[in-house]
Order: sequence, then structure tokens, then C-alpha cells
Amino acid sequence: MSERIADTAIETRSRWRIRRPRRIRRSLLLVPPLTIMLMFFVFGIFADIIAPGDPGDTNVLNKLARPVFDGGTSESLLGTDHIGRDIWTRIVHGARISLIVVAIVVPGAALFGSTVGVIAGWRSGKLGQALMRYVDVQLALPAIVFAVLLGAALGASIWNVVLILLFWTWAGYARLVRAEVLSLKEREFVIASMAAGGSGFWIMRKQLLPNVFNTIVVIMTLQVPVVIVAEASLSFLGVGAPVEQATWGRMITEARNYLTQAWWVMWMPGLALMLVALSGNLVGDWLRDLLDPRLRNLG
Amino acid sequence: MQFISLLLIRLIQTIFVIWVVVTIVFVVARIFGNPEAALLPPFDTTEADYEKVRERLGIDKPLYTQYGIFLKDAVQGDLGYSFIRAGSAIDIVADKILPTVKLTAAGLVVAIGLGIPLGILAALTRGSPYDWLARLIAVFGQATPSFWLGLMLIFFLAVRVDWFPTAGAEGFRALVLPAVSLGLLSAAGFMRLTRSGMIDVMNTDFIRTARAKGLNERTVIVRHALRHAMIPVATILGLELGTLIAGSVIIEVVFSWPGLGRLMIESILKDDFPTVQAGVAVIAFSIAMGNLLVDISYRFIDPRIQAAEL
Repeated sequence: MSERIADTAIETRSRWRIRRPRRIRRSLLLVPPLTIMLMFFVFGIFADIIAPGDPGDTNVLNKLARPVFDGGTSESLLGTDHIGRDIWTRIVHGARISLIVVAIVVPGAALFGSTVGVIAGWRSGKLGQALMRYVDVQLALPAIVFAVLLGAALGASIWNVVLILLFWTWAGYARLVRAEVLSLKEREFVIASMAAGGSGFWIMRKQLLPNVFNTIVVIMTLQVPVVIVAEASLSFLGVGAPVEQATWGRMITEARNYLTQAWWVMWMPGLALMLVALSGNLVGDWLRDLLDPRLRNLG
Repeated sequence: MQFISLLLIRLIQTIFVIWVVVTIVFVVARIFGNPEAALLPPFDTTEADYEKVRERLGIDKPLYTQYGIFLKDAVQGDLGYSFIRAGSAIDIVADKILPTVKLTAAGLVVAIGLGIPLGILAALTRGSPYDWLARLIAVFGQATPSFWLGLMLIFFLAVRVDWFPTAGAEGFRALVLPAVSLGLLSAAGFMRLTRSGMIDVMNTDFIRTARAKGLNERTVIVRHALRHAMIPVATILGLELGTLIAGSVIIEVVFSWPGLGRLMIESILKDDFPTVQAGVAVIAFSIAMGNLLVDISYRFIDPRIQAAEL
């Protein structure tokens, strides 16, 4: 017994020695994406302080002004668009819209989807079957067509976008959490709780939820860039936030006609969107490898 | 025999899903939609004019009556006439199916043609610059929003240099940019899965046995390793097909592609209920059929899977 412990200790130590440089390299690679995600959150929260101007302010005399690094003035850092709105201000305020949507949709969908998943896994009889059949139907839906339909029906408002994206994303959590619960149910500690007379609600709350928590956190992280891109796509298709609000998706749509004359109008919001989506993906991948490597094949 | 009955069950399930989807669209559209407003001029219109238009479109009756009529016609293969275009909804939708199939198929070709070879290359040269490059492409492919990728490709390859047309569906060259924008996301998924599958399988005993038998490396990789690594790839093929069909909607808007997705978006924004219902039915049907085909193809890739698991 003691020999085995000693063996493990040696193994652990040598593993550390081999792996350590790789780990450090990997963490260094994570600095840029983590910084970008942090900036995204800071921009979203303190938009009014970072870019005090009104994102909707037009200035026809100063339209399609160049960004400062391409011969423009420091008055408009990233240039202006076709009706003279300041692109920097609009990107910062656009980050706020994306952040609001993410901050409600991701935890909201996780809470609702996981609750349904836990219940469907625990009561895997008729109730569970019915819930999962519904989830199957929803996952078979062409989500984007449905989102546009709902967007057109409900009207342009960021709360409707939140509602649509909640509806769009909760089912994925339900399916994965249910699968986890189904296998947890057969484990000794859960069976012991049942034998000891624990109520269903108590077991779900105290034993099942904590054990699927890692899975939920990993999906939530991976969902952040998905939700940001989905919001931008809806705005791009014209059913997202109302016209007077600055969103990255709408900025990209509006810039399409000026692509040949002023590259920066479309590039700036597009790059912001791409950088945030890329960083979110990298951070999510890293967290998944750390917390729940089994989810690797998820895509 | 068992196989056929299982196919029948899947078919019935598919019909059920389509029925639910179309019913949801029917109800949502009629509760919130307002097609008569789009058909009449905004001024000098009396309530009587609206009433007349509603009557002509058949949306003046209560919801359940409309639904009853809709179902009765639908089982006879009639999904009604478009509110704003000439012709029946089915004809209008049918006209747009081929361009969308073309685009989706091209996207799938890009996804598979790029993803699987890159994945194999990355796995066989693990840790090399090829591996890094392939993984970099995968990371970017996964993170770049498809509509933004499409616009960038238009900017560089259609505006800056005139290699491809900026929009439309005339000829093969017009297909290239939309297909790449559509397929790159799925290519990233295929690449990652092929790479991890190949790495896993190359370390197994039966690969060592195959090599010990004296088979050349090519046969070992293609006949033994690849076939094994393709099982999880086939699993997500169905999912990716759904992703491609859904993704084609936004790509069609970006490239003004005359397909089903763009028709759907236009019809939704103009409250053309019958066209939306017919189009959604077609899309849901094709996603379901894609999944079914993938499940069947499993049996040929991995004979261990029994019909019962279909």
C-alpha cells in the first residue's frame, strides 16, 4: 500500500517536471484571448465612461472620415460611418448590447435547460420522455428561420432578442445534462441516498446538480461566443435590436454598401466581433480541457 | 424486415415533427403577422378595404377554422397560394430548392474536402508546422461568423481583385465564395474530429498488428486507421448537415443567392404566411432526411451497429 502511494508520488512529480513547460506555454497563449474577453466586459459595463459620446450622433460634414492610423484625425479614432457617426463610440456601445444579451441569455438558458435536463433524467419515465421528445423537435427546427420569424413577429427590441436566444439555446443544455443525470443515477452514492429515504428534490439539488455543475459551466462558456454571434446575425438580418441602437451586426449590415469606398466602416465592427468570438472560443476550449475533458468531441 | 419497419417508424416521426413545426409557424404567424397592411397603401384605406383583403386571403375567419381548412388542404398536397407572389406556395418554394441544394452540397464538399484531409495530415504529423497550421485554420474557422467571412471574401476576392462575382448564382465561379463561407465552420469540426480520431486509432493494437503483417503504410492508414476514425465523423455528419442547411439562410442573404433561405427571410418580413409554412416544412424535412441517411450509412461504416439502434 505504502509502496503504491510512493509510486504515485514519484509519478506525479515526474509528470509535473515533463508537463510544466507545456502548461506555461499554454497559459501564455491564453493571455491575449483572456485580455480581449476582459476588455469586452469592461467596455460593455463602462461604455459611457470609455466612449462618452452618443453612438447615434450624426455629423454629415464628417462622414466616412478615415481612422487615425490611416490618415484620419484623433477626433474619430476608428473613423466615421456613412452618416458621420463615430465608429469607436458605436463599437463600445455595441459591446454593451452584446454583453446585456449574453449576461441574461447564457445564465438564463443554463438555468432553465439544466432544470429540464435534471428532471427529465431523474424522472426518466413518461415525463422525461415527453420532455426529451419536445427537445428533439426543437433541435430539429431550422433555428435561424424560427428566430427571424419570432423577431419579425415580436418586433425590434433587445428584450425580444434575449427571448429569442433563450428559446434558441436552452434545449442543448437539457439534452447534455439529462445524459449526465441518467448515468449518475446508477452510481452508488445516489442509490445510497435513495435507500436512506432522501426525497427526489433533495437528491436532485444536493447530489445531481453539483455533479453536473462542471458540464454546465463548460457549455455556458462555450455558449458565450455562440450567443454573441447569434445576436449579431439577427441584427445583420434586420430583426435584432431597434435601428437607433448601435449593435455590431447592424453596423456590418449598414456598411455593406460602402465597402468599396471606406473599408473601415465594415472592418471595425467585424474585427471586434471576430476577435471576441475567437477569444471566447479559445477560453472556452481551455476551460473544457481543464474541467471536463470528456466533452472534447462536442465540436 | 426489422430494418424496414424501423424506417417506417422514423418516417412517421419525421412527419410528426414537420406537423408540429408547421403548426407552430402557422399560429405564431397568424397571431403576430399583419399581411393586409403590406398589401394596401398606408393612406386613404378604410377598414372595409382591409376587411376585403383579409377575406380574399382567407385570414378573416377565427384561427381554429383557418387551421382546419389548412390541414384539410395540406393532406391533399395543397399549401395555399402566396399572398404576395403569383402562384402556389409549393411551386414558389420548389423553384428555390435546387439553388439551395447546390449551395449546401458545395458547402458540404468544402467542409469534407478541407476538414478530413487536414485532419489526417495534422494527426500524422502531430506537433509539426502542418499540425499547427491545420489547428489554426480550425480555430479561425470555428470562431469566424459566416456572414462576416462571406463579406471579407467578397471584399478581397470580388472587389479588390475581380476573381469572383460579388453576388448571384450564375455559373461555377459564383458558387465558390458562398460555398467556402458556408463550409468553413463545418470543416473546422470535421478537422478536429478526424485529427483526434486518427491520433487515438494510430496507437491501438490492431494498427500495430497491421504493420507487423507487413502492410505498407498507405494501406494501414487508409484501410485500417481512417475507416475507424470516420465513425465519429459520420455521427456529426448529420448534425453538420443541419448546421449547413441553417447556415445557408444567412449566406444566401449575404450573396443574394436565389435560394430557399433568402425566400424565407423575405417572406417572413412581408408576412407571406403560406410561403413561410411551405418553406419551413421543406427545411425541416430535409434536416430529418439528412439525419436518417447518416444513421443508415452508419451500418455500412460500422457493421457492429444493429438496426435496433437506428
